[in-house]
Parts: sequence; C-alpha cells; structure tokens
Amino acid sequence: MSTLRYILDNWDTLRPQVLTHLEIVAISILVAAVAGLALGILAARSERFAALILAVTGIILTVPSFALFGLLSIWFGLGNPPVVIGLILYALLPIVRNTRAGILAVDSAVTEAARGMGMSGQQVLTRVELPLALGVILGGLRQATVMIVAIATVGAAVGANDLGQPIFSALSRDTGTLEQVLAGIIPVAIIGIFADVVLAGVQRLLSKGRVAVAAT
Amino acid sequence: MITFDRVSKRYGDVDAVHELSLEIPSHEIVIFVGPSGCGKTTSLKMINRLIEPSSGVISIDGTDTSTVDVNELRRSLGYVIQQVGLFPHQTVAENVATVPRLAGWDKRRIVARTEELLELVGLPAAQYATRLPAELSGGERQRVGVARALGIDPNVLLMDEPFGAIDPIARERLQNELLRLQRVVGKTIVFVTHDIDEAIRLGDRVALFSTGGVLEQYDTPEELLAHPASQFVEDFLGEGRMVRRLSLITVRDAPLAVINGSLPPIEKVDADATLRDALDAVLRAEDGRVLVVDSERPIGIVDADVIRRASR
Ligand SMILES: Nc1ncnc2c1ncn2[C@@H]1O[C@H](COP(=O)(O)OP(=O)(O)O)[C@@H](O)[C@H]1O
Ligand SMILES: [Mg+2]
Repeated sequence: MSTLRYILDNWDTLRPQVLTHLEIVAISILVAAVAGLALGILAARSERFAALILAVTGIILTVPSFALFGLLSIWFGLGNPPVVIGLILYALLPIVRNTRAGILAVDSAVTEAARGMGMSGQQVLTRVELPLALGVILGGLRQATVMIVAIATVGAAVGANDLGQPIFSALSRDTGTLEQVLAGIIPVAIIGIFADVVLAGVQRLLSKGRVAVAAT
Repeated sequence: MITFDRVSKRYGDVDAVHELSLEIPSHEIVIFVGPSGCGKTTSLKMINRLIEPSSGVISIDGTDTSTVDVNELRRSLGYVIQQVGLFPHQTVAENVATVPRLAGWDKRRIVARTEELLELVGLPAAQYATRLPAELSGGERQRVGVARALGIDPNVLLMDEPFGAIDPIARERLQNELLRLQRVVGKTIVFVTHDIDEAIRLGDRVALFSTGGVLEQYDTPEELLAHPASQFVEDFLGEGRMVRRLSLITVRDAPLAVINGSLPPIEKVDADATLRDALDAVLRAEDGRVLVVDSERPIGIVDADVIRRASR
C-alpha cells in the first residue's frame, strides 16, 4: 500500500519515465521485428546464413546489458539511443529464430503445390509461408517484447530516463527505500504482463488452422 | 500432345530417368507406372519444370517447355499430388480460387467458377465452400485438390499418386469419379501410380518403367496384358494377368455363342458387364453357360470357351 502511495505522490516524476520506457520498447521492437523478419526469411532459405545469424544473435544475448549499453554509449552518446540499439540487438534472436522455424515448419507438400500451380517465390512467401508461420513468428515477437521490457530498465545506467531511474537512484543512495525500487519494478511488470497477454491473444486469434509449432 | 524427346535426369552418376522418348496424345489418360524409385515422379515433374531435365526436350503442342515462362507454364498445367497440399489457412473456396486469382480474374467470375468446380467434383458449394481443409475427410480433400487443379480449365492435368493415401473403397469411388470427370472435361491426363490395377483401370495408355528410369513398354492396357514386351513387364504384371485382362473386355464384344433351340441358361449377365463378371457367372452356373442380356433382351450365350477365345 505504501508503494502505491509513493507512486501516486511521485507521479509527476514517474509519468515521463513510464512514457520513455514505453517509447524505447516500442521503437526497439518495431525495428527488431522488421529486421528480424527479413533475417529470419533469409535464414529459412540458407542453412549457412542461418548458422551465422543464429550464432551472432545468440552471442549478443550473452553480453550483459550493462556492458552492452555502456559500449554502445561510446559511439551513440548517453540517453535513449544506445539503449534502443542495444534492445534491438537483444530482440533479434527470438524473432529470427521463430521466423525461420515457422517457415521451415510449413508442410513441404503445401509449398510444392503452391509452386506447382505457378506461384512465384515471392507469392509462395507472402501468400503461403508467412501466413502459415504467423503464429510462430508472433510467439518470437512476444518473447522478445517481454524480455526487452525488463532489460530496458538497465538503460537508466546510460542516462535513459525510463523506469530504471527510480530503481537506480534508490540503490545508489543510502536514503533509497523499498517503495522507490518497487515504484520502478511494478510498472515494468505491468507493462510486461500486459504486452504478453495482448500478444498471446493476437497469436491465438491468428493461429487458427495454422502450423502448430511450440514457440520455444 | 506432350512429347518427351530423349529426356534424361541424372543425380550425380545415377540416372533417375534415362533417355525417355514418349508421346502423350491429347485428351487421353496416360499412366506412368512402375516400382518405387523408377523415376515416375521425376518424369512427371519435368513436365511442369518442378524438376529441370539434365538433357532432352519436353514439348507441349510443339512448344519446347523450357522456352516459356515457368510460372505461366505451371498455371496452364493442373497439378495434383498425393499429399494434396491444400492451404490449411484458407477455406475450400479460397483454395479452389488459387489459380484464377493468380491469373487475375475478377471476383464475380472467380466465385462462379469456384462453385462450378466444387459441383463438378461432387462437393456442393453451399455445404463445403467455407470449410477449412482440416474439416474434410481424406477423399474430400483430394477432390478439392482436383477442383483446385482445374481452376482455369487447363488442358493438361498432372497427377502424382493422387489416390495413394486413400483407403481402397474410397479410392475405387475416386477412380470412377475421375473417369466420369474425364468424360466431361476430356483433359490430357498424366497419372502416376505404382499400382498396376489402378493403371489398367484408368489408363488409355500405360507407360511401364523399370528402375533407373527406363521405359519398358508403352501400350494400351489390353496390349500390355496380352503381349508383355519383356520379362520385367511380365513379372510386374504378376499373377492373374489373363483374369485381369478380362476386366477390360465388355461381354458384348466377345464372340458369343448363339442361342439355339435348347433350354436357355438360367444365369444371366448384362451385355455391358465385363468378361470378368461373366466368368464369375459361368463359375456360378450349374451347366457353365450364362445368358447375355441387353436390357432384358437375350443376345447370346457366354461360356468358358467364349471367354477363352475372347482373351486371346
Ligand atoms: N533430389 C534428388 N537427389 C538425388 N536423387 C534423387 C532426387 N530425387 C529423386 N532421386 C532419385 O531418383 C530416382 C527416381 O525418383 P522418383 O522419380 O521420385 O521415383 P518414383 O516416383 O518412381 O518412386 C530414385 O532413385 C530417387 O532416389
Ligand atoms: Mg513418386
């Protein structure tokens, strides 16, 4: 209760932090979705490219966020830019991996029939493969979103005015309180859960009759 | 007419199809038959260029297929495969509308065509148009596959073991329907199967392949059964070759014995039945003689001698 009290009392400070957090996550996920989709399609077409891109995006994911944001701030300065770029890099792996898996899971008889009826490669992709892979692709997008909503808090360390700020300022001062930390954590959790539920709903809605592949 | 002119397909050092030369006349059903791995599918897919030949020329009505746009070529050739490959995210109607949509038909024409095609394959549009493939039986799915292949009324239908995954009773019904359909549409049909009975039943001509993609014999089913060109063909036709042949001859066409004064036989067989049915009746009859009737009118008698003579 005291946390809710704290949040309400400090809403003027927290409000811009919530908005910045949402903005950072939204931009990152949009760019990552477009890039990840393209890379995932290429990865479905070429085994060698798949091995390369999955290794690279996998390695990126092992770099601690604190270090990655710090590194990126050397080139992109402090504030939101290094955070957005870092989050895009983190979000790539689940999107690329699921896009590839979703396309490869399409029954080869279906794509053969499509080609046999005279669809071009482009038409097979847009009319058959992507619609059928959509559920799996959305699964990757969902994972990526939930993940970067949480990681974005670390961006406060390189100057992004997001929901990491109340957490960091509480931890860096003797006067920091638990309420202050929770004032950052709770909105992050709410955003994360909300994004997860909405994307899960969309996924279910669009997956009717489509390839069922566990979104790992 | 589809012409294969010394067409080969090699994978590494191995021939999947070897120097195939063959003419497929228009409006006929030609069957590619042979044991598994003998190059039937490869030969078929070289027609719509899902597989490109290593050498040789395939032409359709005199045009070398390698000179035309590959997607245009495929739209002009209906294609049906064993696994059907319906689009699981689209309704039956949307599936059937695939090629008309690719060809840029307007909406009204597509709707009309879709309904017409579904009726043609025995799936009333009112009942089936909005279903998803997952809501169909195997046989219904394959009918949708055939309807989809007929989308813009291609002259040629390529079918790769279309009934291979369907249970025997439904398969026989689909075979009959294909023959009925063919009487309506009169397509040039190239049909792949490994089942010699299906080949004999459906084919106007049968091309029998042996391993390595070698064409062993290309003949009418009657000729194939009467005069196998090689030991391989004879072995592939297997036991019961003569009995099988009887199912290709209608009773009416056999040299029937005349009905003379004596007591007519009690067993009857219709003039439009096959000699195989007649043989069954002969075996059933006390005296081995069966009366042949043409819509109730007696036209002759069939017995073992008649059947033996007809089968030569
Ligand atoms: N992509 C391929 N690579 C190598 N060999 C192949 C390929 N496709 C088919 N073959 C070989 O070619 C032969 C003929 O295959 P196929 O035409 O599919 O036979 P069928 O349809 O008569 O069963 C087989 O021996 C098969 O293993
Ligand atoms: Mg085959």
